[in-house]
Amino acid sequence: MDRREFMKKLFEKGKQAGMKEMEIYFQDSDNFDIKVFKGEIDNYSISNEIGVSFRGLYNGKMGYSYTEKIDETSIDILIKEAVENASVIDSDDEENIQPPSENYKEVNNYNNSLNKVTPEEKINFIKSVEKEAFKLDNRVISVQHCIFGEESAHTMLVNTKELDLEEKSNIAYAYVSVMVKEGEDVKTGGSYIISNDFSKFDAKKLAKEAVDEAVSMLGAKSIESNEYPIVLRNDVAANLLEAFVPIFSAENVQKDLSLLKGKIDKQIGNSIITVVDDPFMKNGVASASFDGEGVSTKYKKVIDKGILKTYLHNTKTAKKDGVESTGNAYKPSYKSPVSIAPTNMYIEKGNITFNEIIESIDKGLLIINIQGLHAGLNTVSGDFSLSAYGYLIENGKIDRPVNQITIAGNFFELLKDIEMIGDDLRFTLPGGSGYIGSPTLKIKKLAVSGD
Amino acid sequence: MLSKALIEDVLNEALSTGGDFAEVFVEDKLNTGLLMIGGKIESTMSGRDFGVGIRIFKGTNSVYAYTNKATRDNLLDVARKAAAAINGERKDIVINLMKNDIVNNHKIVIPVGNVEKLKKVDLMRRAYNVAKNYDDVISQVTVRYGDSEQNVLIANTEGVFVEDKRVRTRTMIQTIASKDGEMQSGFYGPGAHMGFEFYDKINIEEYAKEAARIAKTMIDAEYCPSGKMPVIIDNGFGGVIFHEACGHGLEATSVAKGTSVFAGKIGEKVASELVTAIDDGTIPNEWGSQNIDDEGTPTRKNVLIENGILKGYMIDKLNGRRMGMDSTGSARRQSYKYAPTSRMTNTYIANGESTKEEIIANTEYGLYAKYMGGGSVNPATGEFNFSVMEGYIVRNGKIEKPVRGATLIGKGLEVLKKIDMVGNNLDLGQGMCGSVSGTVAANVGQPTIRVSSMTVGGRKGE
Repeated sequence: MDRREFMKKLFEKGKQAGMKEMEIYFQDSDNFDIKVFKGEIDNYSISNEIGVSFRGLYNGKMGYSYTEKIDETSIDILIKEAVENASVIDSDDEENIQPPSENYKEVNNYNNSLNKVTPEEKINFIKSVEKEAFKLDNRVISVQHCIFGEESAHTMLVNTKELDLEEKSNIAYAYVSVMVKEGEDVKTGGSYIISNDFSKFDAKKLAKEAVDEAVSMLGAKSIESNEYPIVLRNDVAANLLEAFVPIFSAENVQKDLSLLKGKIDKQIGNSIITVVDDPFMKNGVASASFDGEGVSTKYKKVIDKGILKTYLHNTKTAKKDGVESTGNAYKPSYKSPVSIAPTNMYIEKGNITFNEIIESIDKGLLIINIQGLHAGLNTVSGDFSLSAYGYLIENGKIDRPVNQITIAGNFFELLKDIEMIGDDLRFTLPGGSGYIGSPTLKIKKLAVSGD
Repeated sequence: MLSKALIEDVLNEALSTGGDFAEVFVEDKLNTGLLMIGGKIESTMSGRDFGVGIRIFKGTNSVYAYTNKATRDNLLDVARKAAAAINGERKDIVINLMKNDIVNNHKIVIPVGNVEKLKKVDLMRRAYNVAKNYDDVISQVTVRYGDSEQNVLIANTEGVFVEDKRVRTRTMIQTIASKDGEMQSGFYGPGAHMGFEFYDKINIEEYAKEAARIAKTMIDAEYCPSGKMPVIIDNGFGGVIFHEACGHGLEATSVAKGTSVFAGKIGEKVASELVTAIDDGTIPNEWGSQNIDDEGTPTRKNVLIENGILKGYMIDKLNGRRMGMDSTGSARRQSYKYAPTSRMTNTYIANGESTKEEIIANTEYGLYAKYMGGGSVNPATGEFNFSVMEGYIVRNGKIEKPVRGATLIGKGLEVLKKIDMVGNNLDLGQGMCGSVSGTVAANVGQPTIRVSSMTVGGRKGE
């Protein structure tokens, strides 16, 4: 069934069922993944998928439903479910279907040249990553994951208030993790690249980063429990920021689930820290001209020189706070109601080099990996206690690898304890809500638990 | 869901380039999700997942493709595209699908789809009211309700042709306690492979009260001291320690490629003799149970470790080929969007002989982890981490005071050997487990156990 025709019928039937305003959201994507193991293609996946999200106002409440099947029977299911879902809503918050914004800034997130790279070239690339990894060091005993993937996506948002928007994007990524062994000592290291420009995919560099990291951890041991100055490498700092992104959501603030409540225009971090949400960033995975409600996206500083300037809003939370939407309405998938998330969000880089940061420390730790982010931290309290590994820094130099430790602290305190910001901004693999980046950060101190 | 003739044609097309095995997985699933914050339904979502996955093996190479369009032309086209990734000549394989009727071990009394949403909302409201009114310190309560009915059809070139229905329901209660500008949270999330009758079998108010009690206890707790100490982990969801520390390492997904610390250790002593560990997908109506796995193999009870000796792994077809072993009915996937791989179902440490009281009374100084949060592991090194949601310091055989913010880290093989007391109060807890084939419902479980020494990550030296 043609999607315009599907839409028309859906809106007609919705009106008959008593829905005032309605919106439909199509998301279709083509995916391609290759995994390589010992020189062979271990897994090869291709897919094309479609999902349709529907929402409509029924007796003043917003009802949602979705389907992955575009046919006549789905129209009735979508309407029945949306009406039923609207009927049980008893929140006082008003949610509305939005008319088009006045201006949409053009965003180009689709790189046509990616389509011109043949599957063979991609297979050869990822095979050569594995080969390089084995070649680099004879202590590499296994390349556990060696994956190339790409996705092109097309979204379409149409509503009964004359909004009619479309956007296309594509992205490719490669990830490699290796296992090295010396005696009985086994360590792993990983590396990734994400871009829609295939010429940036450098097999040697990718393999080397993973192998260097794994090898450098051989012989790692724990360290005495104490408080230490901590350097969070750029990717680690980005992971930590990503985990705490929910604190910036106006929805969480309004529902008493964020300690940033009442902190607008207040100093919440050291004055050297500025956090930006930039939907127009070049090569930003989350770049977009409109958000999940069709509102035009906006560049904003969330934290400016340590001062909290705004929460992230959709139209519902904005109305409640008497402000304008920041264009951060988010649909994690067609299966989700509209929520809130950043676009490309990052801590602005400073002008200190990584080496200068290391040199500034007498005795401390450089953290290159943290684990347990989904469990070992509490976005409500800000407390975290995470398994970590990295290196001991002594007299301004990296001394030896350290593992089997945890680092613990509180994110709200950490924002105030950031003493130095590196010039090496890096983004982490997108985890579903926003594309998050950070430079390397020096933190005054964190509690380290070890021996 | 699809006719036998069409499936046979798709399988034939999939084998056209020399594959030696092909499989079709069809899924039609209805989902409902309701979110209540502050006693009001904030958002609701429901809908239908539908798609078809096609998988081809040639030796240990595999190709996976999926689509939402189940028309004959499109399915044949997808099968052809998937087959194109294999270069070879068609082998002589005769496909003879025979419909197998499976025994249903997980009877559903009240299908979730037949229950009005308002009844589900009532249930959530009951949980909300009890949690919110538990104490003035409870500032916010979030209740999430979700249910799903997943219908699957699995057919393959070995003749398998089966259908199964999985009904799951779960209610998750999160509580926040606030005091002096600080917040702490508590959580409880009971679920089952059952219809709405689940809520007649459990008392949702009791769970809500527990969630509120945890938040209230933790807001008054001090930060946990750090360092090495004995750790007592309570029964039920405490089993997440085995799940993370060892369970993932026993999945063929990492064993077959030699990237697990447990690879090549069958018959060896890998744990204290007090430890017997089992993965059992057959337990009637349990959260992680299902009649067949996602390759159509009946689930079963797999003994992984018996009195400390490694007895077996959890194996799917593809990794079974790599290992020269049969499937153990352990192949699982989140949906048709994922190729299946070996995963846990209901994984637990079996009962021992001590009582919980004895274990605490026998501990001079240590941490008592009453409720665990989640965790993760690197199967290659066995290094795991998980968080303690509600913990206490034990001193001189008595529970002394609550502590917050504790994380436990260690290595799977080491911690298994250091289990020096095992209780007699086995219970199961519900969780969601994420891995390469997506997020699946999994039970963890254990009696109360004690690990003689573990690294506890906290914020305070002692």
